[in-house]
Amino acid sequence: MKHDYLDKYSSLDSVLHKLDPRTKIVCLFSAVIVVISEPRGETTAFLFYYLILAALLLASRIPVSFLLKRCLIASPFILMAALMLPVSFLLGGESASGNLNIGVFVFSLSILLKAYAAIFLLVLLTSTDKFHRLLKGMRRMHLPNILTMMSALMYRYIFIINDERLKTNRARDSRSPGRFRSGCIKVYGNQTAKIFLRSWKRAQTVYQSMLSRGFKGDFPEFFRLQFKLPDMVFAVIMLVCFVVVRVFI
Amino acid sequence: MHIADGIISTEVVLAADVISIGALYAFGKKTDADDIPKMGMMAAALFVASLIHFPVAGTSVHLGLFGLAGILLGLRSFPVVFVALLFQSLIFQHGGILSIGLNALNMGAGAIAAYLLWRVSGIPEFVRAFTAGFFGIMVPALFMAVEFNLSGYGRGIFYLLYVYVIVAVIEGLLTLTIVKFFRRVESPILP
Repeated sequence: MKHDYLDKYSSLDSVLHKLDPRTKIVCLFSAVIVVISEPRGETTAFLFYYLILAALLLASRIPVSFLLKRCLIASPFILMAALMLPVSFLLGGESASGNLNIGVFVFSLSILLKAYAAIFLLVLLTSTDKFHRLLKGMRRMHLPNILTMMSALMYRYIFIINDERLKTNRARDSRSPGRFRSGCIKVYGNQTAKIFLRSWKRAQTVYQSMLSRGFKGDFPEFFRLQFKLPDMVFAVIMLVCFVVVRVFI
Repeated sequence: MHIADGIISTEVVLAADVISIGALYAFGKKTDADDIPKMGMMAAALFVASLIHFPVAGTSVHLGLFGLAGILLGLRSFPVVFVALLFQSLIFQHGGILSIGLNALNMGAGAIAAYLLWRVSGIPEFVRAFTAGFFGIMVPALFMAVEFNLSGYGRGIFYLLYVYVIVAVIEGLLTLTIVKFFRRVESPILP
């Protein structure tokens, strides 16, 4: 089955796609730090941050609709957090003391701007490179082996387990077409348990096959990562832009 | 429950990141190489389980399975939760990348609490399974409420805990069903 939500735009040909994954990891993480370090209530600087992000999006050739979909997925929790402060003032009685003023709403707006800017940067990072290249970049940056190995195996197993999920969904729906299943906890519990057991056994078989083919705890590397001049230029320009906005605006 | 970047105050995020890295080191250092595939599978299962939506009162909630991770993996569930969250953050933007330690601390604490409850002897298995699933959700919800409170959001978040009680009861019942299924079909999988 096809799971194109992973690595969907990682094969495009753009300036960002050609960069070394380590460059992107360092630059985009640094940019997230700069953005979230903005003081609470700050909104003006975000106009400039979003201009930089728009330029990066243009350079990456990733469709705006894809970015918006990603933002939409993450929206419920962000919106809940942004609304939390005014709601707290109303429910907690602080409004009676006159604290519910325009500043509360500006605070909420700055939370929204920060959170979406961070998501924007994450989408740029993960959509402009293949996941296994990002993992390799992280390994080269000395991320603990347990994390990178587990991530690499997880990335492989996800497709297997998601196929199992879709198969069991189909089986469940074909046995009770159109029925409202609210309250059928047993059905969902058994389905989840079945997915787990099948995947568990499948994962063990896959691992045994890997061992029999000489797997020794690390995946073979079929490509080399190289930090070149364009990486240096990109890193300097991007970081200078973000730091200038943070310091002077 | 996945906290995005920029929502919680930087001080709280940094403190949680430091605690999470320490926990990751403490719980991950004794991991045997042969256990890593099992943990990778569990991380993938946690990720896929979050795609199963359960209809409740006209809306839907998704499974967390932190309780089940705690039951099956014990203390190793913390690195598993960490990796599952890292992946969710990178691929689906569920939770921020700098808040990864914060989210891992919340949800990992749920898994560890479930593990500790599962180990309590003298209590029937079905009660342990339910409470493991229940507290696998309630502990993260409580941690999250405290973090919001420390970040100056007021007391509003504590009202949300009532909603999480409903989700936790559902998760508890699901964990109970799953444990019963395992006991019936593949008993050795349960510690």
